[in-house]
Amino acid sequence: MMKDKFIRMIRARKFQTFLKLCIYFVLVCVSFVYLEPILKMISMTFMSTKDVIDPSVDWLPKSPSFNNLKVAGTVLDLKKTLVNSIWFSALLAIAQTIVSALTGFALSRYNFKFKKFWIIMIILAFIIPVPLLMIPRLMLFISTQNFLGFNLIGTPIPQILMALFGQGVNSTILILIFYNFFNLIPYSLDEAAMIDGASPRQIFIQIAMRLSASTVLVVFLFSFVWNWNETYVTGTLVRNSIELLPAKLNMFDSAFQTYASAGRGSAQFRLNEAYKMSATLISITPLLILYSFVQKHFIQGIENTGITGE
Amino acid sequence: MAKKKKLITYQQRQNRHGYRFMLPWIIGFLIFTAFPFVATIVLSFTEVRQTVLGFDITFIGLDNYIMAFFENVEFVPAMLAFLGMIIPYTFVIVILSFILAYLLNKITFLRGFLRTIYFLPVIIMSGPVMYQLIDSRSYSERVDSFLGFSNIFILQMVASYSKSFARILIGIFEELSIILWFTGIPIILFINGLQKINPSLYEAAQIDSANSWQILWKITIPIIKPLVLVVTIFTIANLGTFSINPVYDLIKKATENTSGGLGIAATFSWIYSFVVLIIIGIAFLIFRNKEKVRRHY
Repeated sequence: MMKDKFIRMIRARKFQTFLKLCIYFVLVCVSFVYLEPILKMISMTFMSTKDVIDPSVDWLPKSPSFNNLKVAGTVLDLKKTLVNSIWFSALLAIAQTIVSALTGFALSRYNFKFKKFWIIMIILAFIIPVPLLMIPRLMLFISTQNFLGFNLIGTPIPQILMALFGQGVNSTILILIFYNFFNLIPYSLDEAAMIDGASPRQIFIQIAMRLSASTVLVVFLFSFVWNWNETYVTGTLVRNSIELLPAKLNMFDSAFQTYASAGRGSAQFRLNEAYKMSATLISITPLLILYSFVQKHFIQGIENTGITGE
Repeated sequence: MAKKKKLITYQQRQNRHGYRFMLPWIIGFLIFTAFPFVATIVLSFTEVRQTVLGFDITFIGLDNYIMAFFENVEFVPAMLAFLGMIIPYTFVIVILSFILAYLLNKITFLRGFLRTIYFLPVIIMSGPVMYQLIDSRSYSERVDSFLGFSNIFILQMVASYSKSFARILIGIFEELSIILWFTGIPIILFINGLQKINPSLYEAAQIDSANSWQILWKITIPIIKPLVLVVTIFTIANLGTFSINPVYDLIKKATENTSGGLGIAATFSWIYSFVVLIIIGIAFLIFRNKEKVRRHY
C-alpha cells in the first residue's frame, strides 16, 4: 500500500519534470524566433559580396569581412547622424519626462474636479492615431512660422513644444508610470511637509521627485528610445534638415546610390542585402547597448504602469 | 486693520493645485490633440491650398471622400491590406502573448533572461528597421516560402475553401517573427496580471481535484479577462500607430504635396483613424458584454 503510493508520487514528479522541460524547450525555441531577425542581421553584416550570392552560405559567412560595416557607416554618415540622434532624442525625452512627472503628480495627489474626465482624455490621447492629428498640427506650425517670420518646420522646435506640453510619443504610458509610482509614496509624507509650511511646488520637488530618481530614469529611457524610433512625426515636421540615424536608414537605398556613383561605380559595388542589413544593425546598436545595461529598469517600468491591477 | 486673507475650502485648494500641475498637459492636449482632431474632420470636406500668406481653404463637400473611395486607385486596396493585417495580427499577438506569459509564469530558472529577450524588440522596433527586415525577406524568401507553405496539406485544404483566408494564414506564418516583435509589452502585462492572482484560489481548486487544464479555463482566464481587453486595445493602438503600414505612405505622400494635397490627406487620415477607432470600439464591446453576462450568473 505504502509502496504503491510512493511509486505514484515518483511518477507524478517525473511527469512534472517532463512538463517543465517541455515548457523550457518551447520558450527557448520561441526566443530564437524573436532573435532570428537580429541574428540574421549580424550574420549578413559579416558576409562578403561573394557570400551573399553564394546559395550554400546560410548563416556562417565563408569569408567574413568588415567591409560592409565600413561602407554602411560611411553611407549613413554615422558620426554626424549618431550625435544628432542622441541630442535630439535626449532633448525630447527631458521635456517629456518633466511634463509627465507634473501630470502624474497632479493625478496622484489632488482630487480636482473633472479628474475622471481628464484621465479618460489621457487614455484617448494614446488611442487616437497620429496621422489624424498631424495635418492640422503641420498647418498650425506653418501658419505660426509665417506669422513669426522664422522657420519652425525643419527645426526641432515643434516637437519640443509638443513634448513639453505632453503630446509626445506615448506620453500616456509615461504619465501612467509616474502616476503609479507617486501613488506608492505615502501621503503622510506630504502632510508632514504641509504642516511645516511646504508649498505644493516644494512637496513636488523635495519629496516626490527626490524619492523617484529611479522612475525618472525609467521614464527618460523609455522616452529616449521611443523618440529615437519615431519617424513619422519627425519625418513630417523636421524632414531632412536634421539628419537622424533612423531617418537616414529609411532612405538608405538612395543614399547608397549617390555614394556608389561618386567615384567607385565598379561592377561589384552594387547595393545588396549585406549592406542594408549592416546599416540596420548599426542603427540599432546604440539601443542594444543601452538595453544591455538597463534592461531591468525597462521591464519594471512597464510593470509599474499599473494597468494590470486596479 | 490687517488685510483679510481670503479663505478657500479644501476642495477649492485641491482644484487649484491640481489644475496648476495639470496645466501644461491640458494646454498641450487642447492645442495639439483636441483641436487637430476636430480640424481634421473639417478639413476632410475642404480643399487646402498653401499660399505665400498662409492657407487657402475652400469648402468642397464630399468630393474628397468620393475621390478617396472611387477615384483614387491606391487608397481602397491599401485600406483593405491594412484591415487584412491588423485583425489577424491582433488575434495572434494577444493569444501568443498570453500563452508565452502563462508558460513563463510556470518556470523560475531563466525566467528573467527569457523575459529580457522577449522584451528586446520593444526597444529596437522602429519603422525603418522593420521596413528593412521585411524588405530583406521579400528579396530572397517570399517566392520560395509561398511555394513551400502552399505545399502543406492543411493549407491546401483551407485554400480550397477560401483563397484569401489561406493567404492571411500564410502571411502570419511568414511574418511570425515580425508579429512576435509586437508581443513585448503584452507579455509583461500578462505576467504581471498572472502574478497578482491569489495562489489560494489555485490551492482550493487543487483540493477539489481540478487538474491544471481546468484551473486554466475556470480560474486563470476568467480572472485575466479584463486584462485581455487592455492588451487588445493596446495592441490595436500600437499596430494602428505603427508606421509600417500601407495607408501611412499614402497619407504622407498627400501631406508632402502642400500645394493642394492637405485636404485629401485629411480625408485619408480621417477614414483611416475612424476605422482604427471602430475596431477598438468593437474590441471594447466584445469584452464588455461578456463581462456583464458573467456577472449575471
